Amino acid sequence: MTHPLEGQFAVEASARRLRAYRYVVERTLRALGGFIALTPEISAKLLLGRHVWDLAQHADAFGRRLPELRAPGQVSEPANAGVVALMDALEAPEAPGETVERLAGVYGVLKPHLLAVYGDHLARANAVYEPPTRVILARCLADEARHVAGGAVILEHLAATPALAARAAARRRAIEALLAAAGGVTGEGLPASAPRPPAQDLADEAREFIRLERALGAWPWPPGLETALGAFGDALVREDAGDVRRWLAEGSVGEAAAATLGGAAFTAHRVVALARVGGHRVVKQRLDGPGGTAVVQTRWVPGADGWRAAAVEVLQREGAALPSR
Amino acid sequence: MERPIAYDKLAREDRFVRMRAREVARLKLEQGLPPFPDLASREAIRERVHGILVGELQAMEGAGRSVCDFPDAPWEFTLDMARQVWDESRHVEIYLRLLEHLDGHAGEFPETTILWRCACAEDAAARVAGVNRGLEGLACDVFNQLVHIARRIGDPILERAVEFVLADEITHVRMGSKWLTRLTEGDPERRRRAIEFQETIDERFNLGGMRRTGDPEAVPVSVATDVRRQAGFTEEEIERLLRTTQRSPVY
Repeated sequence: MTHPLEGQFAVEASARRLRAYRYVVERTLRALGGFIALTPEISAKLLLGRHVWDLAQHADAFGRRLPELRAPGQVSEPANAGVVALMDALEAPEAPGETVERLAGVYGVLKPHLLAVYGDHLARANAVYEPPTRVILARCLADEARHVAGGAVILEHLAATPALAARAAARRRAIEALLAAAGGVTGEGLPASAPRPPAQDLADEAREFIRLERALGAWPWPPGLETALGAFGDALVREDAGDVRRWLAEGSVGEAAAATLGGAAFTAHRVVALARVGGHRVVKQRLDGPGGTAVVQTRWVPGADGWRAAAVEVLQREGAALPSR
Repeated sequence: MERPIAYDKLAREDRFVRMRAREVARLKLEQGLPPFPDLASREAIRERVHGILVGELQAMEGAGRSVCDFPDAPWEFTLDMARQVWDESRHVEIYLRLLEHLDGHAGEFPETTILWRCACAEDAAARVAGVNRGLEGLACDVFNQLVHIARRIGDPILERAVEFVLADEITHVRMGSKWLTRLTEGDPERRRRAIEFQETIDERFNLGGMRRTGDPEAVPVSVATDVRRQAGFTEEEIERLLRTTQRSPVY
C-alpha cells in the first residue's frame, strides 16, 4: 500500500502540465470559435457554440491554478513543437465543405485524448495535497465526456455517406499520427484510451440539434409553383433555351444567367431552398451531373399565366460533382 | 487560420437564401408591403422572429470570430466573448424553437448579412462597439417590443423565452461598454474611431426611420429607453440615437 502523501507530480511538473493543457485548450477554443462562421450545418454550429464557453472556462481554471503552483498565471505553453504542429493541423480545414474534417480532428482524436489524459492525471494526482487540481480535472473530464459524445453523434450525422465517412477516417488517422509524434498534449506519451462514455446519456443535446436542423418536412409550395419549377429545372438540364425562356417573366434578365450553365451536362435537379418575399418566392435549385454542379437562384412572381421567374442568378458553378448530403 | 475572414466566407446550409437588405426592402415596397415586418399578424411575427434567428446566428458567428481573431487581446476579453458565443448559441436554439412554435422554419425568409458585415471589423474595440453596443442595443429595442406584443396577444411561450434572451443582450451591451473602455484606454483616437463605427451602425439600423421613440404597440420598432439605461447607455447616447432616428436613410 502506498503512503497517502506519496505523489507522482512535483509542483513545477504539475504547473508545466497545466500550461501544456492550457495551450491546447486555448488554441482549440479559438479554433472552434473561428469554425462556427465557416461551418454551414446548424447542428455543427450549435455544437461548437456550446463548447467554446466550456473550453474557455477550462483554460481559465488551469490559468488561475498556476499562481498557486508558484508559476505565472494564465500562461499557455506547448509541450513541444509537435504539439504546435498538431494544433496547426487541427485548425487548418477552413473550407465550407470541410466540416467533417474539422469535427473528426477535434472530436474524433483530440478530445478523446484529452479525456484520457485528464483521467490519467486525476488518477495519479495526490488526493491529500492536490485537490485543487483534481477538482479542475474532474470538471474538465465531465465536460469532455459530454463533448466527445455529442461530437460523435453530430459527426455520424454529417458523415452519412461512405465517401464522407472515409474522409472522416482519413482525417482521424492523420491527426492521430501527429498526436503520437508529439507524444500527446503533454509530450509524455499517450495514456490508454478512456472508457467510452455512455453516449445515450450525454448526447441528447446533440440529437436535439440534429432534429432542429431537420425540422422542415416538406416544402410549403404555393399552388402551381412546384410544377413550374420542375419544368424550369428540366429545361435547364436539357439546355433547352426556348423552354427556359418560356418560364421567364417579361423583362427578366435571366437568359444570360441561364446561358452561363451551357454545356454542363446536368442530369438532375432538385430544390434546396424556398423563401418568401411577400407574394414572391425565391428558390434555389441544385443541378448535378457528370459535368459538375451548379446552384441557380430564381425569384418567382405569380401572374395571370401562373408563376414566372423574374430574376435568375447562378450562385455556384463547379466543374466536378460535389459530395451531396 | 485566416484572421479575420472576409465577410463573404460566412457559411450557410443550402436552404438559406441570401439577399441584400436593400433588395428585400425594394421588393416588399413594390408589393405594397412594409419593408420591415410589422407585428400586426402571426405571420408578420414569424417573419420578424426569422429575422432575429438569422441575426442570432450571425451574432454567434461574430462572437466566435472575436474569440478566434484576437489572441493578443486580454484573456478576460476572450472569456467574455466565449461566454457570448454560448449565449448566442442558446438564442439560436430558442429562436429555432420559437419558429416551430409559430409554424415556421429556418430558411422560410431570405437572410440578409448586414449584421455579419458589421461583425467583421478588424479592430477589437470597433467590433465590440459596433456589435455589442450598436447591434445588441438594437436587439434590446426589438426584443423588448416583442415581449410587449407577446404579452398582448397572450403568448406566454414567446414572452418568457424572449424576456430571457433580452436579459442576455443587456449583459452583452454591458460587456461591450466595458471592453470599449478597456481596449481604448490611453488611445483616444482608437476610441473615437470605434464610437464612430458604432454610430454608423446605429444609423444604418434605424431601418429607414422605422426605429422610433414611442409605444411598442404603436411604432414599427420602438427604442427601449429604459432597457437601454439598464444596459448602461448614457442619457446623452440615448438622446443622440433618438435624434438619428429622425433622419436615417433606408438601410
